[in-house]
Amino acid sequence: MPLAPVLLLLTALAMFAGAAAAREEDPWGEEDPWADEGGDEWAEDWGDEWEDEAGGIVVTGFAELGAGMRADSDGPVGRRMTLGDARLRTEAEWIGDALEANAVGDLWYDAVIRDLQVEVRDLTVAFSPTEDIDVTAGRQVLTWGTGDLVFLNDLFPKDFVSFFAGRDDEYLKAPSDTLRLGFYNDLANVDVAWTPRYQPDEYLSGERFSFFSPRAGQVVAPDPPIGAVQPRRYELAVRLYRTVRGVEYAAYGYDGYFKQPTALDADGRLTFAPLRSLGASVRLPLWSGLFNAEFAWYDSLDDGDGEDPAIPNSQVRFLAGFERELVANFTAGFQYYLEYTRDHDALIANSPAPQFEPEEYRHVLTNRLTWRISQDRWTLSLFTFLSPSDEDFYLRPYVTFRQSDEWQLTAGGNWFGGRDDHTFFGQLEDNSNLYVRIRYNY
Amino acid sequence: MRIPDTRLAALFAAALLPLAAAGQSADADRPGVDTIVEKSNLAAYYGGDDGRSEVRMVIYDEQGREQRRQFTILRRDIEDGGDQEFLVVFSRPSDVRGTTFLVKKHPGRDDDRWLYLPGLDLVKRISAGDKRTSFVGAHYFYEDVSGRSPEQDEHEFVEETDEYYVLRHIPKDPDMVEFTEYRTWIDKQTWLPMRIEYTNPSGEVYRAIEAGAVETIEGIPTVTKSRVEDQSLGGYTLMQFRFIDYDIGLPADIFTERSLRRPPREWLERTEGGG
Repeated sequence: MPLAPVLLLLTALAMFAGAAAAREEDPWGEEDPWADEGGDEWAEDWGDEWEDEAGGIVVTGFAELGAGMRADSDGPVGRRMTLGDARLRTEAEWIGDALEANAVGDLWYDAVIRDLQVEVRDLTVAFSPTEDIDVTAGRQVLTWGTGDLVFLNDLFPKDFVSFFAGRDDEYLKAPSDTLRLGFYNDLANVDVAWTPRYQPDEYLSGERFSFFSPRAGQVVAPDPPIGAVQPRRYELAVRLYRTVRGVEYAAYGYDGYFKQPTALDADGRLTFAPLRSLGASVRLPLWSGLFNAEFAWYDSLDDGDGEDPAIPNSQVRFLAGFERELVANFTAGFQYYLEYTRDHDALIANSPAPQFEPEEYRHVLTNRLTWRISQDRWTLSLFTFLSPSDEDFYLRPYVTFRQSDEWQLTAGGNWFGGRDDHTFFGQLEDNSNLYVRIRYNY
Repeated sequence: MRIPDTRLAALFAAALLPLAAAGQSADADRPGVDTIVEKSNLAAYYGGDDGRSEVRMVIYDEQGREQRRQFTILRRDIEDGGDQEFLVVFSRPSDVRGTTFLVKKHPGRDDDRWLYLPGLDLVKRISAGDKRTSFVGAHYFYEDVSGRSPEQDEHEFVEETDEYYVLRHIPKDPDMVEFTEYRTWIDKQTWLPMRIEYTNPSGEVYRAIEAGAVETIEGIPTVTKSRVEDQSLGGYTLMQFRFIDYDIGLPADIFTERSLRRPPREWLERTEGGG
């Protein structure tokens, strides 16, 4: 295991501890909070004069070190490390009279794959050709839908490798090269996202995380990692939405491909099956909380009757959720999620390995608990996925300490388990891991 | 600035968007409680028909460590004393930059609130039950920012001093709040609440919001500095408002999801007439 990232992390931790100690001598700590004060505290140094209105190019970002280890070393992936990032993020924003430009990029050394990585997460220009139209063109992250870490009509690319490795939640959403158009009117707003070249999820390849292979009949971590054949066509996503008296209604359409490599092409290579999807959602305040419901109909275009075992079947997906604050700063959210696989009999009848096929009804319950304390300096969070039908689970606990606006420390885990090796979360059991990240915002 | 002793102070109410007030002198007969409450509510939250302000906030925890927030607020009144809309666009700190917050305030029923997180392109709705939850880590609550509806409390007259009307407010639904009552010191000249003290079930004042400075902007007395302290949390938060401008003609259609993703730059920029 390369030592450099570990040393960097230790150095950063030492700096962090030092910064914390220094802060305790802050003169404000000595002060009687009710004592009369002069005006000085208002003039505290903000690093600029307020009179100077921000303009030109604004550059911000962060530096972050992250390290994560597999809990169990016996899995098929040879190495123990699941996260080893030394990352530099740079964001630049320019706002002109008729045009806005944004750039967000990450440069990092990834100790797991022992390579330097670059990712442009945002490189866009945005403008409004008319009063009622917004255009955002370029590399961007896109999100819609009502689910919390459960996606039905949001078929924009996700990065599950980053998500499972314990990178910031932001990295679950992968960018795509897309032209986004927003049309606004009183009837219903319309969003159109046209991606000229289909962009799949960042899927598990065996490089960092193992997964279940129905062909091998077991959990595998291929070396070299798998690479699926990628369609070279566009994908198109559309949303109509409107809010009426606090109730948000939306309808969705998608034309493209399944985002995971769950199909086999004529040569037996992994690929992505054509997908067309329609759906709708609603979100509204209810009982001092929030209620949401969403459904999507996934039409697997090349397997209309579900008889082709090399192509995933059509599905109906449904989600209902409720979230509310139970006591001050402590919020709980619950979701019920259903995947109904159509033509399940045909799937089982034609499958070479029917014992590994998904259940006709896959039920998943989720729970999110978030507790913020001490002016949000501490955030404790636990997200739980539990599937009664698959008999598997995924727990995502983490704690974030915001030492200052600059320094943040996060520690957490990803714990997978289940009765069987082939279920959605059960296959990830060997990937359970713990991680820690330290970030400096600039 | 004025150095507040215990009575001078100000209110955050002002907070969100500085307030307006009828510059009326209180002479002759004392107005009734309901009149004072109404005038104070209008003064604190409904200055002009709309407004913009830039805000800097310093949050000190019980150990004196500080966090900072800087944002611009746009406000539009649909009806004086009634529905209002707020759009808050954060510029600092860097990890909060680009975060936007939309509130549709409906006195008499739950407010609608949305938060936009640019890193995920996520429009997150915030549940209505958490009005008394910290606003971006500050000692101010969401409810302090957009204003607590007078309909939620019973109001009693306590006393009249040279400068203030002092009122006592008892929540109609005590289960929804952490205090048993609060008192306000309302400036007789401006109708601005200059100090608010919250009492816990043991009868102790544990939380206070005070106005640190009031300036008259475009004829509207406006709290430009405010401070909240909460002994149950430890620490306090200071807030300062600048570049305030009223009646700038904000259109209704900027208070929508569209603006969460693409904040309306032409309305966020400082205006010539701004204070």
